[in-house]
Parts: sequence; C-alpha cells; structure tokens
Amino acid sequence: MTLWSRLRPYVMVAPSIAIFSIFFIYPIFYMIYLSFFNWDFINPVKEFVGLDNFTELFRNNEFLQVLSNTLNYTLLTVSLSIVISLFLAIWLNREGTWYGIVQGALFSPHIISLVSVSLVWMWLMDPQFGLLNWLLQLVGLPKLEWLSSPDSSLLSLVLVAVWKGVGYNALIFIAGLQSIPKDMYEASALDEANRLRTFYKITLPMLSPTLFFLIIINLISSFQVFETIAIMTKGGPVNSTNTLVFYIYEYGFRYFKIGYASAAGVVLLVVVGLLTLVYFKLLSRKVHYQ
Amino acid sequence: MKKIASVLLATTLALSLAACGNTTSNASNDAPASGSASTPAPEKKKVEITYWYSWGDKIGENNENLVKMFNESQDEVVVKAEYQGTYDDQHSKAQAAFAAGNAPEVWQNEISSVGVFAKSGMTEDLTPFVEKANLDMKDFIPGLMGNSYVDGKLYALPYLRSTPILYLNRTLLKEAGLDPAGPKNWAEFEEYARKLTVKDKRFGITMPVDIWTYEAFVRQSGGTMISEDNKTAAFNTAAGIDPVKLWLKMKKEGTMNIVTTDDAGTQAKTDFHNQRSAMQFASTADLTKNMIVAEEQGFELGTSFMPANTTFGVPTGGCNLVMSAKLSPEKQEAAWKFIQWMTSKEQTIYASSFTGYLPSRVSAVESDEMKKLYEEKPLFKVAVDQLAYAGPRPMQKAYPEIAKILKDEILRSVVDSSVTAEAAIAEAAKKADALLSK
Amino acid sequence: MPIEQRPLLKVLHYLGMVLLMAAFVIPFLWMISTSLKSYAETVIFPPKWIPSKIMWSNFTAAWESGPFLKYFMNSVVVSISILLLQFTTIILAAYAFARYRFKGGNLLFGITMVTLMIPGQLIFLPVYLLMSKWGLLNTLFALILPFSSSAFGIFMLRQSFKQVQEELIEAARLDEAPEWKIILKIMVPMARPTLVTFALFSFIAHWNDYFWPLVMTTTDAARTLPIGISKLREVDGGAAWHILMAGNMILVIPILIVFSLAQRHIIKAFVYSGVK
Repeated sequence: MTLWSRLRPYVMVAPSIAIFSIFFIYPIFYMIYLSFFNWDFINPVKEFVGLDNFTELFRNNEFLQVLSNTLNYTLLTVSLSIVISLFLAIWLNREGTWYGIVQGALFSPHIISLVSVSLVWMWLMDPQFGLLNWLLQLVGLPKLEWLSSPDSSLLSLVLVAVWKGVGYNALIFIAGLQSIPKDMYEASALDEANRLRTFYKITLPMLSPTLFFLIIINLISSFQVFETIAIMTKGGPVNSTNTLVFYIYEYGFRYFKIGYASAAGVVLLVVVGLLTLVYFKLLSRKVHYQ
Repeated sequence: MKKIASVLLATTLALSLAACGNTTSNASNDAPASGSASTPAPEKKKVEITYWYSWGDKIGENNENLVKMFNESQDEVVVKAEYQGTYDDQHSKAQAAFAAGNAPEVWQNEISSVGVFAKSGMTEDLTPFVEKANLDMKDFIPGLMGNSYVDGKLYALPYLRSTPILYLNRTLLKEAGLDPAGPKNWAEFEEYARKLTVKDKRFGITMPVDIWTYEAFVRQSGGTMISEDNKTAAFNTAAGIDPVKLWLKMKKEGTMNIVTTDDAGTQAKTDFHNQRSAMQFASTADLTKNMIVAEEQGFELGTSFMPANTTFGVPTGGCNLVMSAKLSPEKQEAAWKFIQWMTSKEQTIYASSFTGYLPSRVSAVESDEMKKLYEEKPLFKVAVDQLAYAGPRPMQKAYPEIAKILKDEILRSVVDSSVTAEAAIAEAAKKADALLSK
Repeated sequence: MPIEQRPLLKVLHYLGMVLLMAAFVIPFLWMISTSLKSYAETVIFPPKWIPSKIMWSNFTAAWESGPFLKYFMNSVVVSISILLLQFTTIILAAYAFARYRFKGGNLLFGITMVTLMIPGQLIFLPVYLLMSKWGLLNTLFALILPFSSSAFGIFMLRQSFKQVQEELIEAARLDEAPEWKIILKIMVPMARPTLVTFALFSFIAHWNDYFWPLVMTTTDAARTLPIGISKLREVDGGAAWHILMAGNMILVIPILIVFSLAQRHIIKAFVYSGVK
C-alpha cells in the first residue's frame, strides 16, 4: 500500500465532510450548547440553567402533544405512502406512452411549490363549500370537518403529504422494479395462479434496497415537516397539528426562547437518530443486494 | 464512541474559535469605515442607510415610492429600501442581523413587538431626537401612540396603522329590511346576523378566532388584556368571557360561521367577497380591495364602527418605525432624518391615500387633501372617527405566546361543546399568569 | 400481460388510470385556470374552471412586480451550481464509502447520515452568523455553499455503487486503469439512473426553496424566484390569488421542462442498465 492509496479515501470524502462539518455539525453543537442556557438572542449575557430547559420541556403538556403529533404524522404518512406507491408502481410499471403520462401526472404534485399545493387543498377541504365534502355528499356519506376540527386535522395533513409524496416514491419503485432481471420472473410466470407468492418470493426481496431507502428517506423528511404546517395550519386548531420543527421555530423566533427551542431541537435529533439507528440495525441485515 | 466525540469536539472547538476570532476582526473592520466617515471631509459625502419593510403589492410600492421621494428630496442621506417578507419574517431576520452586527438602520415593528425589541436593547430611544428636533408630539393621534412608549421613553413612531372595522354588504342589509348604517351594539349585531343568515347559503358573519378581534371585543366590554403591573392576565373577567359567550351562542344559532383553520382570516374575506357572508370584521387596510371587489361583484359596500357592548372600542394594528440601537452618531442622524420625514404630515397623507391605512397625524386628518378624499370616499372616514375609541395592543415580551394560548383555548371551546367560555378563558389566564410571572 | 386479454378488466384498468390521473392533476389544472382569472372570478362560488375572460395580464403583472429577470437568473445560477458541485463531491465521497475500507470510514459515514436528519430551520442561525463573518450574506455563495454536497446524494449513490459487480472493477484494475477512469468509465455510467433521479430531486428542491434564500438574503441582488413570488402573496389586505398563481406558473414551467426530459431519461437509463 502506497501512502497515496491509504490517503485516497480521506481525500475523496474530505470536501463533503468539510461542508457537513461547517454547515451542519457545527450548528448542531452550537444548538446543544445553547440548550443549557436561557437566552433571547440579543442579550449579550447567556444565563446558564443546566438541564432546566429539558425538565421544562417534558413537564409541558403542549410539548408532549407535539411529540405525539409528530410521531403519529410520521408513522401514518410513511406507511400509507409506501404501501400506496408500491401498489401504484406495480400497477403502472408497463411500457407505453400512457403509462409514462400517468407516471408523470403522479409526480406533478412534487413539482408544484408547496404554497400552491396548500392553497388548493385548503380549498378542496373547506367544510362548507369544498369539493371533497361535495363529493362525499354525492355518494351519500356525511360531511367531514377536515382541517377545521382537531380530530381530523392531522389526518388531513397526512392525506396531503401522502398525495404529494406518492408519485415520488412510485417513480423510485418503478425504477427499482425495472432493474429486477426479467428472467427471475420467467420460472414463476408458468405458475400464474400464485402471483402473491411471486410478489413475496421475488419482487419484495429484490426490491428491498429500494424499499429500505424509501422508508428511511420518508421517515426523515416526514419527521421534519415544516412548510405544510407553516402554510396550512400553523399548528392549529388547538395544537392538534403542531409538530417538532414548527414548534422549535416558533419558540426560537417568535417567543424569543432560543434555549428552550434548542432543547426541543436536541430531542428531535435524539429521536431521529434513534429511529435511524434502530432501523439500520434491524433491517440492514435483511436487505437483499444483488 | 469516545473517538467520535473527541473528533467532533475538536472540529467544533476549532470552528467556534475561528468564529470568535472573526468577531473581533469584523468589529475592527467596521471601525475605520465609520471613523473616516465621521472626520469632517471637504466635500459632503452622502450617508447611506438601509430601511426594511414588510408586505409586497400596494404596500410595497408605497414604501418604495416614499423612499425614492425622500432620496430625491435632499442630498445628505441615501436610503436603500429592502423587502423582508411578513412582519414575523422581518422580526426574526432583524434578530439574526442584530446578532451578526449588520442590522438595518431603520425598520418596522409590528406594534405589539415594540416593547420586546426596546427592552432587549435592539432599538434606540428616540426621546432625545424628538426633543432636539422640537417635534410636536401632540400632532400624532393619541389613539395610535399607545405602542410607542416603553418605560416612559419613546421608541417608535406610528407609520402604517390600522384598526378593525365592521364591513357590511349594504345590498343584503337592505334586502333583509335592516338599517344599512349597521348594528350599533352587540344586541343589534346578533339581530342583524340572525336576519342576514340564509341556511346553507349565507352566514350573517364569517369570523376567524383572531386575538386582534378578541382584543376589540374585550375593550368593548370595558376590559383589558393584561394587568397594569404587567404581572397577571386581566381577561379572566366578565369582560373577557362575554365575547366568547357571544361567539359560541351565535355559532350555535348558525348565524356566525367561526372558521377554525389557519387560513380563517382569508376565508372570512373570501366569504364576504362572494356574498356567502353579509358582514366581516377586518382591518381598515382591506378597504381599497373590498371596494374594488364590491364593485366587480355588484353589491354596495358599507363600513361602520365595531358594535359596542358597554362602549365602543378597538385595538390598533399595523407597524411603527424604529431605529436600531448603537449606531454611529452620523447614521443616527440620517436614520432620524428619514424617520421624521416618513412620519410627517405630507407623507402620512400620501401613504394613507395610497394604501388605505390610517393617517397618523391630526394635521393630516384635517388637511384639505384628506377632507376631500373623505368626501369622495366616506367609507374611509369611519375608521378615523373610530380612533377616538382605539387603544394600544399589549406589548409584553410573553404576549405573542399568550396570544397563541388564548387562541388555542378559545378554539377548544369552539370545537368542543363540553368546554365552556368560562373554562376556556380561565385556563388561558392560568397559563398566561405562569408566563407573565417569570 | 393477462389484463389486456380480458375486456372488462381492461375497461376498469383504464378507468382507474384516468381517475388516478385526475386526482393528481386537478390541483395543477386549477393553478393554470386561476392564473388566467380576474380576482373576482377567483373567489366566486361555485368555482369556475374556464375564466370568462383570459387574463394574460396576470403574468405581466407578476413579472413586473419586481426584478423578475434577476430572480430568474439567480435561481438558474444557484440551482445549477449546486447541482454541479454536488455531482463532484458526492461521486467522490460515495465511491470512497462504497469501495474502500478505511479507518474512520464508518464514523465519517455516520456524520453524513446525521446531516441528513437536520432541517434547515434548526441550523440557520449559526450558519447566518458564519456567512456574515465571511462577508457572504447577500451573495449567491450563501445560497450555494451549504448545499455543495448532499448527504442524500451520497447515501443514494453509495448504494448503487455497491451494486456494481466486483469483477468489473477487478478487471479494470488488472488492466491498470487508474481509479479516476474506473469512476468515470464504469461507476458513473452504471449509476446513471441514480444520478439522473438525484439531479431531478436536487434541482426541484433548490429551485422551489423559499426558506433558505429568505433567511440568507436581504436585498434583491441575491434573491431567487420563490421570494419574488412570496412578495405577491404577502399582501396585508387579502391575497391576489390570480397574480400569485401566475407567479407560480412562471416558477413551475422550467421544472416541467427539466422533469419531462429527466423522466424519459430515467426510464431509458434503466432499460439499458438491465442489458448492461
């Protein structure tokens, strides 16, 4: 081994690691540092308060609700959008212009800026005059309150998130499906009766790297939901859609409690970190690489 | 694990040291610039200052136009106007900029934030400038000055200011056989809403649970939001509970549509615009737009005071102009010059007629231009007259958080019929007390 | 495929596709329709799909509301620079993570994964202070530098580099091909679908990004399209939906073009990679 060949990997990762350290890792440490202080940004003196911010956090019912909102939102969004997009991907994974167009259509919500998406959905979900309630009545179902009631507001946001994310996931699934060698299916194609078996025995295992990747990406991005909340609900009604990142931003920049907000940020890091770690440990062994 | 930690710690330390090193060098970079500028130069050098404003469209144009006029009107100061999003955006950016040492010289405070920024030392006490300039403070409309003083010192001058008023669809009022002048008190207001409601087609009024509107209703009942010593919530009284009781009653009767989503304000506007509601509480700043829409939609628009409970009453809204603290004397002079110009009689007339915000000076209201405008568009006059009953918004540091708590608790009583108005307000007061006592 | 052989299933199949498409495209059509209405028509109920008079003037109104050409150019420069820088940094890093075993490699990959978990809202203040100290606020560097590498990209690309067969690389190494040649001639072409997919996502994310440019800039000189468009929304006296949607159309058209190019590419790239 020459010196160069030993140094080479470090040189290759150096630019990325440098960027991450400066723009992400350093700010995290700064945030952890601030979580032990009582500070309002402007006052030159930061008051050291030890773990007070954390005890206050966990004594605050509002924060506990925010935590559970975030977890519910994440789990629902991820599981629904993965299942639906996998189904759609299998359905739409065919040759032909039409399939291309439908795939494109599915992806279109991802292209439009969130502002437009949110506006359209607020209009669709209007309890009095919205299109969705009109459709429900048309088929004889009762009207729903959608975003107006704390009972259904979080679910409504999940619906929007699933709608927005499904096309993106489906596209990656389709890519994954097409990379499965055709000959693997040929043996089982003879036995047409057992398509479900084929799915479990061939498709799913061959798709597992894609599945693994999508679950992780979706988990992380759902956990960080901010813009939809900021535009559509501001965490309301009655705190029912308040999620972690929105909560942190509000406390830091509207209520001037940067220490408290940083403590909440630390909690966010711990939770996402744990989720990822558990996931890696549990599933990485089961993922099938070609 | 230990290794990870030590590597990360080392990086952070190195970075934060580098950061600290930069602070000092940055400060010293600034010094010669201002130092050389303050030495008397043979030829006059223009002082450059930055001014931040919120909102685009008409309001944005108004700011840009005024700044352009100011720059052309004299040759000592050059102002750069820069748009910064909503008031909330502007406030958080100002904090970041202040921490970084590059805050704008002049900026806007949404009026309930004047206290926070003054107390945290971000804005400059304007009292000495007013004294030096011999500015006649009595010319500012007293109802608009409540959010200018903090601990007896003047920190902000009124700029684009508003109050909520009651908008009426006079065509619908006449159809229902009601006096198009509008309801005078809460009892009449209920009556109007009842008569204007057509089931499944129209509500008497569509309303968001908005704390600005709540403040108005509390004031109309003779109450206040926060105690005089700033230590406790003052709304847990009949004056604070009655508004919620009224809303819940009207919602139950189906005459008031209380929108609970976040875009409730927008929806109230939309409902009023397409005649799905016949009345609306909204800012005076909406008047111009409402007039245009009413004409397009073919209905007659009216405005009136918000109805009285025991008295008329409204809070004011909008923004004041402030100067950043710790500027060099030269920049202070320039910033003051600009603020004084922006809030003077001519400019307040210009801004008011351009945007529909209230004129902030008595002399402006009494000027021929404004009188002529009020003759042509009498709807504008209502808000100015209502100013006699207007007061400030609370300015405690904890108030934004208290407003959120109040909104949540009131909403709870709206969406959950087992929560009474009394219980909601009591809960909000309890939480507010805890925040205020800190 | 069996579906095509049964008429009833076939009808259901196509009907399903049409409904599916409608559910996803309607908001987009609504956006187009609104961008061509007058304000009064945007608020009437029941809503109208076809405006009674097509208002092209909404687009000029949006375009002229600020220095839109400047915003547009900034958006192009920012999104493309980010993409080019990202390609360089992530290909190098992903190759190292996928193909070398080196001391501390897992730790460094851990750092990369942590980065993936941090939303911009949590870290912008320290980054703002850094940019300010370096004098980079209000320059495009403040919008580009923090994103000049991507944890997401490294994560994605590392996976697809891992799937390239070992024999291919060994063969190349026996021929004494230098590492850079292996990367450019073997790895990159094999990972083309991943690269194209990543490029598409990265471009969309940064093209539409509102939060970061808003925080890092205070003057129009360094601002991007989404901020120009937010200026159309943030009107104190009620939103001008028609102008806002016209602005959003201006924002979305370039992405539509990029997407329609990339979509075909993704599908194609996969077909070829199957053949090898």
